[in-house]
Amino acid sequence: MKNRLFHALLVLFILILFGFVFSALANIVWKGLAGMAQSIASKEIQFAIRLSLFTSFTSTLICIVFAIPVAYGLERFSFPGRKLVGVILDIPLSLPPLVCGVALLLLFGTTTFGRALAEHGLRFIFSVNGIILAQFFIITPYMVRVLKSTISDINPRLEFVARTLGCTQWQAFYKITLPLAKNGIIAGLVISWARAIGEFGCALMVAGATRMVTETLPVALFLNMSIGNLEMAMASATCLIIISLISLFIFEIVGGKHSPASRMS
Amino acid sequence: MIRLCNIYKNLGDFQLKNINLNIEDNEYFVILGPTGTGKTVILEVIAGMYKPDQGEVWLNDRNVTTEYPESRHIGFVYQDYMLFPHLTVQENIIFALKLKHTATTVMKQKLEQITTLLHIGKLLKRYPATLSGGEQQRVSLARALVAEPEVLLLDEPLSALDPHTKEVFQQELKNIHGQIKTTTIHITHDFNEALVLADRVGVMFNGEIVQVGSPEEVFQKPRSQFVAEFVGMDNIFSGDLIDEDGVKYVHIGPVRIHVVSNLIGRVRVAFRSEDIIIAEDKLFSSAQNTLPARIAEIIPRGPVFKVVLDAGISLVALITRQAIDKMNLEPGKNVWAVFKTTAVHVF
Repeated sequence: MKNRLFHALLVLFILILFGFVFSALANIVWKGLAGMAQSIASKEIQFAIRLSLFTSFTSTLICIVFAIPVAYGLERFSFPGRKLVGVILDIPLSLPPLVCGVALLLLFGTTTFGRALAEHGLRFIFSVNGIILAQFFIITPYMVRVLKSTISDINPRLEFVARTLGCTQWQAFYKITLPLAKNGIIAGLVISWARAIGEFGCALMVAGATRMVTETLPVALFLNMSIGNLEMAMASATCLIIISLISLFIFEIVGGKHSPASRMS
Repeated sequence: MIRLCNIYKNLGDFQLKNINLNIEDNEYFVILGPTGTGKTVILEVIAGMYKPDQGEVWLNDRNVTTEYPESRHIGFVYQDYMLFPHLTVQENIIFALKLKHTATTVMKQKLEQITTLLHIGKLLKRYPATLSGGEQQRVSLARALVAEPEVLLLDEPLSALDPHTKEVFQQELKNIHGQIKTTTIHITHDFNEALVLADRVGVMFNGEIVQVGSPEEVFQKPRSQFVAEFVGMDNIFSGDLIDEDGVKYVHIGPVRIHVVSNLIGRVRVAFRSEDIIIAEDKLFSSAQNTLPARIAEIIPRGPVFKVVLDAGISLVALITRQAIDKMNLEPGKNVWAVFKTTAVHVF
């Protein structure tokens, strides 16, 4: 009898949470899909989709270029201050994106460093570059985290055996560890890209929210909400929901695959 | 040749203290010691995974202490195989050859030689995860040997295998070493492996090599309490193994010992002193070896007593004080020495 009550309670909690999440999403998708065709035809949404795809792909690409060597270095090499470096790199994970945005705005807007970059043509403030910079800043710590745990699951002795067989450190890395980390890298890419495309707060502070200039999908959602254009707002939201569903799906498929032999016993 | 001079290495959990070893060309050297005494660390220092805190590593008259692993020409086989899981068996084996840009024809030839030697020709297209432990260990050995290393390092290569596979592979290791003669260091905690395989044995305890010698020397004349307790093989003899209607006996001088073995001809047998039972009357039991003997000597050894028996050959039994008192054992007394066939190691 008591067990039944317990089971009933579990089911109840699951149903409440599921109902809450599902109805919120279904409602917006339902209404968004209705006006979707029309909204997508509009120049503004098209611009937002294009800009979102461009900035998120660019930032994810730059992110992976940094994240792989950083994660590998932090995981496989010991040097003084390694832990401290790891902790500081993790900080943006727990900071509100708005704070990250202010930090970037101040670094690139008010310091000599930022002004020097701007003079040489690399302007970040209130520009598309700023969106990419903000996305990069937000997603790279995630990527580093995912890759660090992937790499720590790969037994370092595999690389060591490769070296006794004649590999240099670089060869052992790209012939052994990199292919074994493939699934982790793909999973990291997908989840980072999904975060990049949804990034709003940090990009807002750095790049602003200018219609048809720095208008990504979240910015389109924000701008249209603020002027009461619900239909356009919901179309943007629906695009973002579809994107996150697809990436979650890919993540589940790729993330679920692990080759057991490569894991530490 | 491998020479270790005054090696010190502190890894926190494991330590190496003042390791000095000289391993000759073509020698099969077994490092024997209980788990957690830093045996693997020795191999990893020789191979270059760790730099020693102090001391030098010499391979064939080259001081390689500061060299990278990739330039040391070492074959390394781990207990858990460490095959590259994303490569097929064939790709694993030719890994080193490909790195050296070996010509395809030469590569094929070497691949065939090594797969024939280790009987793994049928596995080439498979991935490591689909192989049994014994198969993985063969592939792992093939991968190391195909590069023709100057030195072969085996880290507990038999420990993860089931008893039958282990015995087969152990014999094969011996045969392979007989053919290719690569200088080998083999690490184990199993004294039986040392008996069967070793030209010389080094016993390791607490990060130190406490005794080096031939298996007979180490087992018969342990130089410390630890070695004696760890190896515990007081009874080692040479004899002739003869098959008498399917029943195997080893003749040692005037004595005939019942054994289980596939060997034939000149062999050595060994059994532990605690496996011998001393009986006043001839026992009728499942133990097939019952020898009449006279007590030659009784020597205290820690909490127990070492009883030296003259049974035509000199046997050593280990028994307690109570047993000696109860049976009134004293030098000169005639008794029976009883031990099971399965307690006798033949090699």
